[in-house]
Amino acid sequence: MIKLLNAGFTRLRKNRAFWLFLIFSIFMSLFMIYTQYKDMKEYGEVIQVEQIILNYSTIIGIVVAIFVSLFLGVEYSDGAIRNKITIGHSRIQIYLSNLIIVSIASVFCYIVFSFISACVGTPLFGWVKVEGINFTTLFIDILFLIMAFSAIDTFIAMVCSNKTYTAIGTIIVAFLMMMIALTCFNLLCSSPIIQTVTINESGEMITKEEPNPRYPTEKEMKIYQTIVDFLPAGQAFQIAGGNNTNFNILPVYSLVNVIIFTGAGLIIFNKKELK
Amino acid sequence: MEYVLETNNLEKRYKNFKALSHLSIHIEKGSIYGLIGKNGAGKTTLIRIICGLQKPTNGSYAIYGIKNNSSEISSVRKRIGAIIESPSIYGEMSARDNLIEQYKLVGMPSFDGINELLKLVGLEKTGKKKAKNFSLGMKQRLGIAISLASNPDFLILDEPINGLDPQGIIEIRELILKLNKEKRITILISSHYLDELSKIATHYGFLDNGSIIKEISNEELMRKMEHKLILKVSNPKDFVKYFEENKVDYEVIDSKTINVYGKYNLSKFITELFNKNLIVDEIHEQEESLENYFINLIGGAKND
Repeated sequence: MIKLLNAGFTRLRKNRAFWLFLIFSIFMSLFMIYTQYKDMKEYGEVIQVEQIILNYSTIIGIVVAIFVSLFLGVEYSDGAIRNKITIGHSRIQIYLSNLIIVSIASVFCYIVFSFISACVGTPLFGWVKVEGINFTTLFIDILFLIMAFSAIDTFIAMVCSNKTYTAIGTIIVAFLMMMIALTCFNLLCSSPIIQTVTINESGEMITKEEPNPRYPTEKEMKIYQTIVDFLPAGQAFQIAGGNNTNFNILPVYSLVNVIIFTGAGLIIFNKKELK
Repeated sequence: MEYVLETNNLEKRYKNFKALSHLSIHIEKGSIYGLIGKNGAGKTTLIRIICGLQKPTNGSYAIYGIKNNSSEISSVRKRIGAIIESPSIYGEMSARDNLIEQYKLVGMPSFDGINELLKLVGLEKTGKKKAKNFSLGMKQRLGIAISLASNPDFLILDEPINGLDPQGIIEIRELILKLNKEKRITILISSHYLDELSKIATHYGFLDNGSIIKEISNEELMRKMEHKLILKVSNPKDFVKYFEENKVDYEVIDSKTINVYGKYNLSKFITELFNKNLIVDEIHEQEESLENYFINLIGGAKND
C-alpha cells in the first residue's frame, strides 16, 4: 500500500489535471474576493470572508468530478491498473490507494483555496465574523463532504473502464446530485401558506391566503431533509446557506457515503474481469 | 524439470463462449516459449489469467509451483514482468519518469538502475520527451524496460511486435534474446508472426480454439521441418539396421513409415537401398515451413 501511495503521489505531482485543479482553486479564490470587494465598494455590502470560503463548497463536487475523471480515467487506458495487478498489488490496495490520493488532492486544493481567501480576504473584509467553533464545524463538514465526493467519483472511475464514460459519469452524477438536492431544498424551504390573487366582477384585486398544496407533510419533510443531508451536494448548499440546525451530523452522512460507495466499489472491482 | 509456469486443464468461459478449453502448457525455466495461435485463439485470455487480471472458470495454474488459489500467488507475481497487448505507460510522462514511477511501485530502494535500463532498451537519449510522442517501437521498448524494473525472472510479452516496422521488429528481437541469454529471464511471447517467433523461440505451444494442440521444443520442431524423405516400406527393421550402420538420421513413424532427414540424391539413395535388398514401396520428398506445420496442426486438430 505504501508503495502504491508513494508512486501515486509522485504521479500526482506531475499530473496536469491536479495542477489545473489547484490553479482553478486559486483563481476562484481571487475572483470571488475581487467580485465581493467590488460589491462592497459599489453597493456598501457587508462581506464575510468565511462566506467566500464556504461558498466554494457548492461547486467543489463538479471540480472534483472533473479532476478524478482525468486523474483516474487514464488508470485503465494507460494500462496502469493492469501493471499494478501484474506486479503483485492486490485489487483492494489499488482501489484504496487511488481513493486516498484523490481525497487528499481534493482536500488539499480546497485548503489552498481557503488559505488564499483568508490571507487576501481578511485585510479587505476583516476576519471571520461568525463564532470560531461554528466556522470550524462548517469547515470540517466541507472536508468530509469532499471526501464523500471523492469516494463517489472513485467508485465510478474504478468500476467503469472507459475514460470517456468515466468523465461523463462523474460529471453527470455531480450535476444530478446538485439538482436533486436543490429540488429537495426548495421543497423544504417552501411556505406552508401561499397567497392567491383573484379579480372580482367589479375589477378589484382580492388577495387570499391558502394552504400550499405542494407543502410537504411532516413525513415528506423528514425524507427530503435526509436526502439533502445525505447528498454531499445537499450538504454544500446547506453549509453555504447556513440553514441546517445540526451541522455536527453532516460528517456522519459523508462517512456513510464513503463507506457505501467504497464498499460497493471494492466488491465490484474485485470481481471485475480486466483487459 | 523446473517449470516457471504450468497450467492444468485451464478453462475460461464468457457467457456462452469458451475462450479456453482444457488448456495445459509447461514453460521450462530459461526458455523462450513461443505461444502461437490465430487471432482469437485464446493467447491474450491465457496471459490475462496468468497475470491475475481474470479468473479461470475451471482448472488451475501454477507460477514457480505456487498455485493460483494460494495466498502467495500475489507475492510470486512480483517475479513477473508483463506487457499485455499495449505497454503500461503514462503518456504524459517521460521515459525516465515512467521508470521512476515503476521503481516506486515495485519498492526499489534506489533509482540507480534506471540509466542502465534505459540504455538496455536504447532510450537513454529521449530526455524529457513525453512517452505519448514516442514511436510504437519506442513505446514497446519502454514497456519492456518498465516490466524489467522489478528484475523479473519471467517476462510475458503479448504480441510485442504488432504494428512495428522491420527495424522495430529487429530491435525487439535482439532485446528479447539479450534478456534471455544475459539475464537468464524466461520469456513467454505470444504472436501470430511465425517466422519471427522461429528466430527466437526455444519452445513452442500451438494454440487453437482455446486449447494447446501441440507443445514442442525448437530442436524437435526444426527436425520436423527439416528436408526429409518419407519412406513407405514393408519391413522397417532391415532399414533401421542399415541406417544405423551407415549413420543415417532417421525416425520410425509407424510400422510402414520411416522418415529420413537430410538432403539426398533421390535416385542414388534408392539405388543404394536396392543394392542392399531394401525395397521401398513409396517415397516422398518433403520440406516443411513453420506456417505449413502450423496449418497442418490446426487442420489435424479439426479433423480429430
